[in-house]
Amino acid sequence: MENNKNIEEITEAPVEETVAETAELAEEAVEITEEAADDVAFEAYEAAEDVAEENFFEAYDIAEDADEEIIETAEVETKAVEKKKITEEDMENYVYDPESKDKYKELEKKEKPAKKGFTISYERRKALYGYGFIALWAIGTIYFFILPIITSLIYSLHKTQPKSGYMEMEFIGIQNYVNAFRKDPDYATSLGEVLGSTALKTPLIIIFSIFIAVILNQKFRGRTLARAIFFLPVIIATGPVYDVITGNMNTGGYAGGSEQFSTMFETNLVDQLLTFLGIYNLPEKITSVITTLTDEIFNMVWFAGIQILLFLSALQNIPTSAKEAAQMEGATAWEYFWKITVPYISPMVIAALVYTVVDSFVDPTNVVMRQVLQKASDWQHGYSAAMGWAYFAIIGVVLAIVVVIVNKFVYYEVE
Amino acid sequence: MATRKEEKRFEKEMRAEKRRRLKDMKAAGIKPSLTPEQIRYNRNKAIVGAVWPIFRFFIIFGLGFVILYPLLFMISTAFRPNDQMFDPSIVWLPKNLTLENIQRTWDDMKYDKTVLNTVKLNLISSVLSVGSCALTGYGFARFKFKGKNILFAIVTLMIIVPPQITTIPLFIQYAYFKGAGLVKLFTGKEYISLINSGITMYAPAIFANGIKAGLFIYIFRQFFRGLPKELEDAAYLDGCGPLKTFIKVMIPNAASSFLTVFLFSIVWYWNDYYISSSFFTQNDTVALALKNLDATIMSTHYKNQSVSARQLIVWLESGCILATFPILIMYVFLQKYFVEGVERSGLTG
Repeated sequence: MENNKNIEEITEAPVEETVAETAELAEEAVEITEEAADDVAFEAYEAAEDVAEENFFEAYDIAEDADEEIIETAEVETKAVEKKKITEEDMENYVYDPESKDKYKELEKKEKPAKKGFTISYERRKALYGYGFIALWAIGTIYFFILPIITSLIYSLHKTQPKSGYMEMEFIGIQNYVNAFRKDPDYATSLGEVLGSTALKTPLIIIFSIFIAVILNQKFRGRTLARAIFFLPVIIATGPVYDVITGNMNTGGYAGGSEQFSTMFETNLVDQLLTFLGIYNLPEKITSVITTLTDEIFNMVWFAGIQILLFLSALQNIPTSAKEAAQMEGATAWEYFWKITVPYISPMVIAALVYTVVDSFVDPTNVVMRQVLQKASDWQHGYSAAMGWAYFAIIGVVLAIVVVIVNKFVYYEVE
Repeated sequence: MATRKEEKRFEKEMRAEKRRRLKDMKAAGIKPSLTPEQIRYNRNKAIVGAVWPIFRFFIIFGLGFVILYPLLFMISTAFRPNDQMFDPSIVWLPKNLTLENIQRTWDDMKYDKTVLNTVKLNLISSVLSVGSCALTGYGFARFKFKGKNILFAIVTLMIIVPPQITTIPLFIQYAYFKGAGLVKLFTGKEYISLINSGITMYAPAIFANGIKAGLFIYIFRQFFRGLPKELEDAAYLDGCGPLKTFIKVMIPNAASSFLTVFLFSIVWYWNDYYISSSFFTQNDTVALALKNLDATIMSTHYKNQSVSARQLIVWLESGCILATFPILIMYVFLQKYFVEGVERSGLTG
């Protein structure tokens, strides 16, 4: 308030003074013109006018500044009145002058009555609630996920010897990793094997599940039943039931379902089919590819349940307008598939891709995983952890690269 | 979306309209003239329309057969007497049916006890897991706080990191559970072992770290993000706190999503044998009992002689039937929610 008065005094004084001065000068000039010769009078008049103008502008500027400050202080005052309703963030938005912000803070300090307890702004309170909602998960993750992961990372850098209640450890640096790749006869090869089979299987599964999803999305009798059947493997194929079905279970090599089944598609049959169709002398490579494909049918169908579902839901989200437009333009089914279906379901390809890769990667029955578990049950926990981590790192990098590449071809509808 | 009835009505109307127009044209003496492209298009469409359903039937039938084959084989073997496995004249239909296999496997697996135990473990863990994952998913979907992106990256990591990496450290944590000194305070012992107790399943489930919890959190987050914000604002205006809003407004809206995640959780807990075999040393769950079934049978029926796998098939397949039966029954009745739930849960958005 004191500032305010000062400013008013300062600003009012020069305005009055200058006005008075200009008036005097003008009068003088008039007198001179009346008395003296025309030229002199004119010059004097001009000079007077200049001076007056200058003074007037100066005065005007000063007055304007003063006005602004008055307005500012007035704003600050009104804010000080309303400040109980206004949050801190709002203040940052409205106050544009650092000086007046300081002033505001001073004012706030002066006028703020001592508050009982403490209040939190709405935003902060919501953030706190957010932390509250994820608190359970955060605590659990630290104990059940982060801690074990760090421990296993530490194991992988040590030579371990389990003792009652703790792990006796001897630091050996990255020796475990070196051993896994250099000395272990199986690790590197089986790693290559898993990567290779994943690389072959993943695109197949994705193409296959898109195909099936498109079929299951059409209208025909018994569609619900067909969908239920194609999703059935997800229900039972995740456990030891699948082991029995594929005949992998410990015993090894009995004619279980899968083996008996895949004999139906074996090389001879494919060859016979090819000869029947009049195709002779195919290169060895092509036949082997065809054979692996047919052998893989069982695995493909049994592991594509979730992916089919993902694509099915993407297909159902294709807007009817796109369908109608394609029909109006006379698109054939083929064109419709490539120009409407594929772009619309392409975002789901990434999800399906990640799911497929992760699924085959964490599968406890794949070769590398079996080795990791084998080493762990041989009490070589450090070594086992190192193998697991190297595996995880490699797959993670591969996955990241693939996702980045695929992402370039994905069509995102801008809404 | 139009319902099936409405769609049928539309089609009928469209056909009627077409017929009417053709009639009008005929009456007016106008021949229906089409450009060559249109004629070709119509012809191709007619051909595809006629041939495709046949192809489609074969594809679906064939692949459906691939999927159902093991199940049919399972049923076929589980009910046939063991000696008929070696009869070359029998492929699918046994000469006579028997329940003996099922009965013996039932005893070997201690099925009644195991099933009850599994159902108990399964239901409690699933309920806890779904509840905590929903809370977490909601927290990630609707609140802004510092470090949210990093925390969500951890959720993604939970999906990707295989459980095999964390099992051994977790085993040590469970086997020598100190509970930050609390255990010593209450029992006086330095540590207690949680191995073989259900806590190894329930505790992670409560804290949203159960089986596939990362995936569930992700699903819930996607779903809650898709719900309109007005719902919450209305609840806030009416004076609900965030927790009350979640329970009274969001949960009823997310019911279908809850059901889907719950069903998946049940299936995954039912089929899990890796985690339960790490923390249970006895055959406590159905999946574990099935996994160890061949060893059990060898020791009880064959006195640990080595027997060819073919002799074991009937037992193993009847074990499979026993193990999958409850979950298959559930699937038959709730299949709609499995398939449609994922479509509606907003995973696509």
